[in-house]
Amino acid sequence: MKPGSVSAAAAAVLRRDLVLAWRSRGDMAMPVLYALIVATLFPFALGPDSALLARIAGGVVLVTVLLSMLLALDALFRPDLEDGSLEQLMLAPQPLALMLSMKILAHWLTTALPLIVIAPLLASMLHLPGHAIAVLVLALVVATPLLSLLGSVLVALTAGTRRSGMLLALMLLPLCVPVVIFAAGAVSAAQANLPWVAPIAWLGAALALILVLAPLACAAALRIAVDA
Amino acid sequence: MANWIPHWMQRLSSPPTFYRFAGVLRPWCMALSLILLIIGLYGGLVMAPPDYQQGDAFRIIYIHVPSAWMSLFIYGVMAVSGFIAVIWRIKLAESVAMQSAPIGAAFTFITLVTGSLWGYPTWGTWWTWDARLTSELVLLFLYLGVIGLYHAFEDRRQGARAAAFLVLVGVVNLPIVHYSVQWWHTLHQGTTVRLFGKSSIEADMLWPLLVMTLSTKLYWVASLCGRVRTDMLSLESGKHWVRDLAMEDEA
Repeated sequence: MKPGSVSAAAAAVLRRDLVLAWRSRGDMAMPVLYALIVATLFPFALGPDSALLARIAGGVVLVTVLLSMLLALDALFRPDLEDGSLEQLMLAPQPLALMLSMKILAHWLTTALPLIVIAPLLASMLHLPGHAIAVLVLALVVATPLLSLLGSVLVALTAGTRRSGMLLALMLLPLCVPVVIFAAGAVSAAQANLPWVAPIAWLGAALALILVLAPLACAAALRIAVDA
Repeated sequence: MANWIPHWMQRLSSPPTFYRFAGVLRPWCMALSLILLIIGLYGGLVMAPPDYQQGDAFRIIYIHVPSAWMSLFIYGVMAVSGFIAVIWRIKLAESVAMQSAPIGAAFTFITLVTGSLWGYPTWGTWWTWDARLTSELVLLFLYLGVIGLYHAFEDRRQGARAAAFLVLVGVVNLPIVHYSVQWWHTLHQGTTVRLFGKSSIEADMLWPLLVMTLSTKLYWVASLCGRVRTDMLSLESGKHWVRDLAMEDEA
C-alpha cells in the first residue's frame, strides 16, 4: 500500500483505534462487566424460577447488550474530538465516510465483540436452552453492527453538545425498536422450535442497507455538528 | 409557467417579510380554526348518530383521529423543511422545522391519551402492545429526541440543523405508523376514511371528522405562525428591522 493512499489511510485509522483501545484495556472490560451485572440483577428481581427465566432470557440478554453498547457509544468520537484529531480527519483528503466506517469497525471490534463472546454465558445463566443460544449469538452478530452504525450517526449529531449521555439514549432507543423486535423474534421462534431464519434475514437486509448509508450519514452529521 | 411562485417563495423566506405575513395570517387562521372547532364538535358530539356497536364511546374519534393525522402530517412537514434546512440552510426552514416539533409532540400525546381513554371501555385495557400504538409511542419519543437535540446546542442554528438531520433519519418511522394496521393485523382497527375511493364510514359521522381535521390544520398554522414570529425576533434580535419594530412600539 502506498503511503497516503486511501487504503493505507483506512488501515492506519483502524490500527490506531485498535492500539488505543488495547492500551486502555480496562475501559474495554467495562461494558462487559456492566452487562454481567445487569443480567445478574434479573434473577434477583424476578426470583430463581428457571422456567420464567428461560422464557425471558433472550430478550433480557438483547436489551442488556443494547444498553451496554449505548454506554460505550459516547466514547466513539469524544476523545478524538477533545484532542482535535477528529478535525484533522475531517480536513484530510481521504473520504471522511470511509475513515469513519473504519472507526466504527474498530469500535464494534472493541465493544460489541466482547459482548457477543460473553452473551452465551449470560444466556445460560438465565437457563436459555442450547439451540436457542446459538440463534441468539447469530442474532447478535447481525444486530450489533446495525446498532453500532445507527448509533454512530446519532453520536455524530451530539458531538458538538456538552451533555450527551441521556440525550443519546432518548434519540437512539426509539430507532432501535425494530432491531430488538426482529432479534428477539428470532430467539423466541427458536425457543418454540419454529423457523427462525426470516427475522435474521430481515436483520441482514437492514444491515446491508445501513452499512452503505450510515457512514455517509455519519459524515454528513459530523460536518453539521462540528463545523461551528 | 410564470416564475412568480419561486419569486414569492424567496421573498417570503426573508425573516421581516415572513414576520409581517405571519402576523396577518395568524388571527385569521386562529379564528377560522375556532369556528370550525365549534361546528365540528357540535356535529360530532350532538348531531352524529351513536354507533350501533360502541354507542357514544366512538365520539372520541373526533379528537383522536384528527390528532393522529396531525401527528404524522407535522412530522412530514418537519421532514420537508428539515431537508431544505440541511441542504440550503434557509433560516426560515430551520425555524419552521424546529417550532413544529412541540406542536407535533402535543398532538401525538393527545392521540395516545384519547386512544387509551377510548380503549378502556371498548378493548378493556388502557394500553396494549399493538403495532400502531407502539409505533405512535415511538413517534412521540422521536419528537422528544428532536426537541432535546435542538436545545442541547449552544448555537441555535447549528442545533436546528442537527435536529433537522435527526428528523430525516427518523422518517423511516412514518410509513411504519401509517401502514402498521395493514401489515400486522392486531387490535387497532384498519383504515375507514380514504382520500381516494369510498370511505367505509357513514356520511353523517364523516363530515364532523373532516371539519375537525381542517380545524386542527388551521390551528397548527396559527400556532406555528406565532412561534416562528417569536423565534425570528430572538434569532434576528441584532438586526435593523427588529430594532425598528421595537422603536415603533415605544413611540
